[in-house]
Amino acid sequence: MNALLLSALMGVVMMFSGIVLKSKAAIRNIAIAGMLALLLVNILEMNGTVFLVIDSKGMIGFDRFALLFNSIIFFSTFLYLTLSARDMEKVGVNYAEYLALIFFILCGIALVSSFRSLIILFLGIEIISIPLYILTGSDKLNLKSNEASLKYFLLGSFSTGLMLMGIALIYGAKGTFYTSGINMVNGAISPLLIAGMLLLMFSMAFKVSVAPFHFWTPDVYDGAPTVFTSFMATIVKAGVFIAFIRLFDEGFASQQPKWKLIIAILTAATLLIGNITAVFQQSVKRMLAYSSIAQAGFMLLSVYAMSPDSKEGLILYAAAYCMATIGIFAVLIKMSDYTFDGFNGFAKQQPLLAAVTTIFLLSLAGIPLTAGFMAKFYMIKAAMYNSGLLWLPILALVMAAVSVSYYFRVIQAMYFRESSTPSTLTVTPAFRYTLVALAALVVLLGIFPNLLLAWLYF
Amino acid sequence: MPIVYYLYLSLALFCIGIVGVLTRRNAIIIFMCIEIMLNAVNLLLVAFSKMHPPKAGIDGQLFVFFIMVVAAAEVSVGLAIIVMMYRRIHSVDVNFLNRLKH
Amino acid sequence: MFQLLQSGLNGTGAGSYLPVVIQIIFAVGLVAFLMVVTHMLGPKRKTTDKLQNFSSGIESHGDARHPMAIKYFLTAILFVLFDVEVIFFYPYAVNFKMLGWNGFWAVMLFVAFFLCGFIYIIKKGALKWED
Repeated sequence: MNALLLSALMGVVMMFSGIVLKSKAAIRNIAIAGMLALLLVNILEMNGTVFLVIDSKGMIGFDRFALLFNSIIFFSTFLYLTLSARDMEKVGVNYAEYLALIFFILCGIALVSSFRSLIILFLGIEIISIPLYILTGSDKLNLKSNEASLKYFLLGSFSTGLMLMGIALIYGAKGTFYTSGINMVNGAISPLLIAGMLLLMFSMAFKVSVAPFHFWTPDVYDGAPTVFTSFMATIVKAGVFIAFIRLFDEGFASQQPKWKLIIAILTAATLLIGNITAVFQQSVKRMLAYSSIAQAGFMLLSVYAMSPDSKEGLILYAAAYCMATIGIFAVLIKMSDYTFDGFNGFAKQQPLLAAVTTIFLLSLAGIPLTAGFMAKFYMIKAAMYNSGLLWLPILALVMAAVSVSYYFRVIQAMYFRESSTPSTLTVTPAFRYTLVALAALVVLLGIFPNLLLAWLYF
Repeated sequence: MPIVYYLYLSLALFCIGIVGVLTRRNAIIIFMCIEIMLNAVNLLLVAFSKMHPPKAGIDGQLFVFFIMVVAAAEVSVGLAIIVMMYRRIHSVDVNFLNRLKH
Repeated sequence: MFQLLQSGLNGTGAGSYLPVVIQIIFAVGLVAFLMVVTHMLGPKRKTTDKLQNFSSGIESHGDARHPMAIKYFLTAILFVLFDVEVIFFYPYAVNFKMLGWNGFWAVMLFVAFFLCGFIYIIKKGALKWED
């Protein structure tokens, strides 16, 4: 509850800071300080200090899992702001508003991570989506950004319509919006419930870009300003995933035989389409968009397995994926050329940046000693233990191997190709140190994943 | 009147909305179709809330309020995006949205 | 319409809809009747003036599709937003006594956020007509 209220307040503060303050550095510092405060109050809440208790009639419930997840999200956003907030200035004039929208999105994530009622799920998803439409189109003079925004908006609100229909049908079947009430089995299962569950599943699948509903992702991620793509592809995606797993864990656990196979098929399709299409991309930005689809496939394994193991896995995966992708995007934003050729000879010009980028890419590919490996390991382990379908974890393993090929293309370009143009990259020392710290964290999590997971229990 | 009539009516409206979204090419009309979908849901929720016992029924009507407000927020953002698009290319035809394909 | 929703779901017979049906028949009938009658009774003078667009006696000029200032759009959008938010006051007004001070503070919080938005748009100059 602390973080939920503070993030909404911070959003308002950022809105007004744009009017009162003229200096962009001051606005940025307020945002970063606010982010730290958000992280702090959330960790305090994990230790039992709640500043303000609002009676939500049981519609919002902050448990350990939600709080830890929020902490990861806030920490990633903090890193994201320290690395990339400076680059938002280039997008447009409304600098403070972009930051305000980011805080509102965090408010939405805090809602969806702790919902106990479908009303809150809907509100949270919309609080996440509507600012994202704006951020996608924030580069007003760029036609690609405008188009991406319109496309995202039309498809996003369409999927919202589907979600609402699903919720309405479930309400018709069960007479309640509470997930605990929906999970209760009394008498025969109503067809309304099954139809509603499928609609909800599809609309959630759309929001996290799972395979048959992924078609908007590459276009929108490509068209949006790169700074905001970084935010959308990592923090927002992980945030909606927790809603996904919570919905199916608490709302539909008793219907498991009905949805398990569908989720398995969605997972398989996502893994296949995401990984194989990513191989053929020419632009690193677009490759990362497809890779985010592929990573969504891995995260979906946790929904499929649905066990304490898989929840641990999702926590670890969200942390590993967010940190690595934010790091890569932070470097990518600084580049002038987003194709693979743009990375040619990068290792000679910027040895340090090339080294940390390599660590992030290795983590995304799931090479041992990085956080990505541990995350993938937990996911596949959970899927192995809790399923009758052995082909799914095997497919995931094969696809993890395929993913190595496109991540290594970037490494190959950085280290084994010669650059034709001299580097124009300028980075501050602070940027360098943050990236190195991030890379160290990725390696640390890869060796001691329990550093993070222990928080779930103590 | 049995509840199924309300169900049929709102599903019919919902399907009209879906078909409209999938077949029309004008962004504004697509958007109107999405609004039809949302209103079909509102109708269904109100009908269900009368069907369920009084205490549970309140929730459904409450949800309708939330949907209306969120829809208004979506309208304001959506129309702003469409206007922004129109000022750039003087058209709201979604067939023009093909620059991102390559 | 309200009565229809209140009574309809509990399975009362078709008889309770009779007033509605009568009203619909009457409304449609009246419109049809008036259209036919005016057509038959009124004199017909066809001149070029009558085929032109007519609005309050002002001569029309130009095209209706010419670009408008974005301010109209902005004002309309803001109106829609602030108009719809009032929905939340209605349930509060109905349960005013029952909700007590807790409800009052909740609504105050809502109004405070609301007011922040309003001050923001004024400060941003979204409602300024003259530049």
